[in-house]
Amino acid sequence: RGHGTTDQDGEVVATLCGVVERVNKLVYVRTLRARYKPEVGDIIVGRVIEIAPKRWRLEINFSQDAVLMLSSMNLPDGIQRRRTAVDELNMRSIFEENDVVCAEVRGFQHDGSLHLQARSQKYGKLQRGQLLTVPAYLVKRRKLHFHHLEQYDVDLILGCNGFIWVGEHVVVREIADLKEDEQKLSAEAETFTPIETRRHICRLANAARLLSALGFTLTVELIIQTAEASVSSNVEINDMLGAEFYVQTAEGEAKRRGDLLGKKR
Amino acid sequence: LISGDLNLDSTLPSKLPPPPVFRSSAAPPPQGSPASRRARDDTMVGLSEGEKHFIRGGIAQDLRADGRRRLQFRALTVETGIIPQANGSARVRMGATEVIASVKAELGKPTILHPDKGKVSIYVDCSPTAAPMFEGRGSEELSAELSVGLQRCLLGGKSGAGAAIDLSSLIVVEGKACWDLYIDGLVVSSDGNLLDALAAAIKVALSDTGIPKVNVSLNNETDGEPEVDISDEEFLQFDTSGVPVIITLTKVGKHYIVDATSEEESQMSSAVSVSVNSHGQICGLTKRGGAGLDPSVIFDMISVAKNVSQRFYTLLESAFAAAEAVADE
Repeated sequence: RGHGTTDQDGEVVATLCGVVERVNKLVYVRTLRARYKPEVGDIIVGRVIEIAPKRWRLEINFSQDAVLMLSSMNLPDGIQRRRTAVDELNMRSIFEENDVVCAEVRGFQHDGSLHLQARSQKYGKLQRGQLLTVPAYLVKRRKLHFHHLEQYDVDLILGCNGFIWVGEHVVVREIADLKEDEQKLSAEAETFTPIETRRHICRLANAARLLSALGFTLTVELIIQTAEASVSSNVEINDMLGAEFYVQTAEGEAKRRGDLLGKKR
Repeated sequence: LISGDLNLDSTLPSKLPPPPVFRSSAAPPPQGSPASRRARDDTMVGLSEGEKHFIRGGIAQDLRADGRRRLQFRALTVETGIIPQANGSARVRMGATEVIASVKAELGKPTILHPDKGKVSIYVDCSPTAAPMFEGRGSEELSAELSVGLQRCLLGGKSGAGAAIDLSSLIVVEGKACWDLYIDGLVVSSDGNLLDALAAAIKVALSDTGIPKVNVSLNNETDGEPEVDISDEEFLQFDTSGVPVIITLTKVGKHYIVDATSEEESQMSSAVSVSVNSHGQICGLTKRGGAGLDPSVIFDMISVAKNVSQRFYTLLESAFAAAEAVADE
């Protein structure tokens, strides 16, 4: 007898409206619009809201803020060493307030908030793109959450907490190069995202918004499929959020599921 | 801890807003510290440098975050008659921005200065459901700004000259009785471009307004005060062809955009709101934002706004017709 159930006259009765799940002998009811339930090893995308002594506090779509310790983060010079007081003072040079960060859940603290780590090269600050928020239950746990879409030169990161990052592809490289990047950002006009990449980013972002509004589970294949369907139907990027394309996508998905059921039988 | 903070609102000095309720981890930051300043400046979730750069790049390249061009509006939906107790009401949705406008008419006495004109008062309120910072007195500044902007565009100057709503049509008995219109706007959900949405909602609400017909009988016994009999059946509709709409042009970098989302508005250097009526005449002008604008730029923005307003009128009319069709069904 797990969450969402209660014992009534010896019978297990559901207290919530949802799907009944069974794990061995545990029976629980999972609601359809569940809050994000983090697990160890989840890839999440969060936004820095505060810099505290030796840690960053990130906002993820959860009831509490997550904590990213300075020691769980690779230092700019790449050397493995003890964090000194100078490192602590230079925390802002790594992540500032309002930065978007990709990290992995390392564990839970005693009060239930999350501990994150960003040690591998592919985690870290996300720039040059846009962040979308979708309901967390639409992103299921898969083997891969980072997707580099070569044909579009776009990075798509599906955070398990419902934050989705669609941005320009960033070549994974030594963090020492990041300083150059900062200066480049300030010399703006020449370094805006090229228009073709931007079109792909907008199309994928709109596909994700559309699918989340329709309530479909978000997977890379579905997002790419929707974006490609919009291109083949000659739908303008902003018209993707209009009524006709909604209907078209919903019908396409219904047909696909119907075919799947037909094949199973 | 959090619910206790909300009760302190009345005792704290007025310039400290209640701390945003979704910060569950931190205690309320001391006043003046960087954290509290950030909490006060945050109209919404902050943006990182990379995202801001992305938004600016999009506007420069004429492809905004949701695929719109610079001068394109979001999808506009309109509903009328949502408040049955009011004389007229409308709800307008532009993307994620949602506003409700209602018009109530009450009999009152005209002012001595203008015995032949009725009175209109416009007031806007921001609901706390739109953003956490609108709780308590947090929305006062924004509400006042929106109310004044709308009054300037729709009511004309102090003498009543140049008003979009014909005030003389509101008179019942000259010098004795007139209609007072109370126009209220409510911001339910805020995602940028509030002024445009409110003006559109007011225009639609006025189209939906029915003023009851009055039968006046001049009675010598009651001290010259006429007896007014308000009929329940017959209604007079307003003529709203003269009511203008407001187009807000937000300047980001070197380009202007129309219908900015709140993320795009956070990047603006200045914004000019132009109220244009269906004849293409300008009824009001408001400039917001700290950056200075060259006069030639303002002229350019005004002409762009006039062009855009034609399209907005057709959009609004088709949305209104769709709403009426639904209401008739």
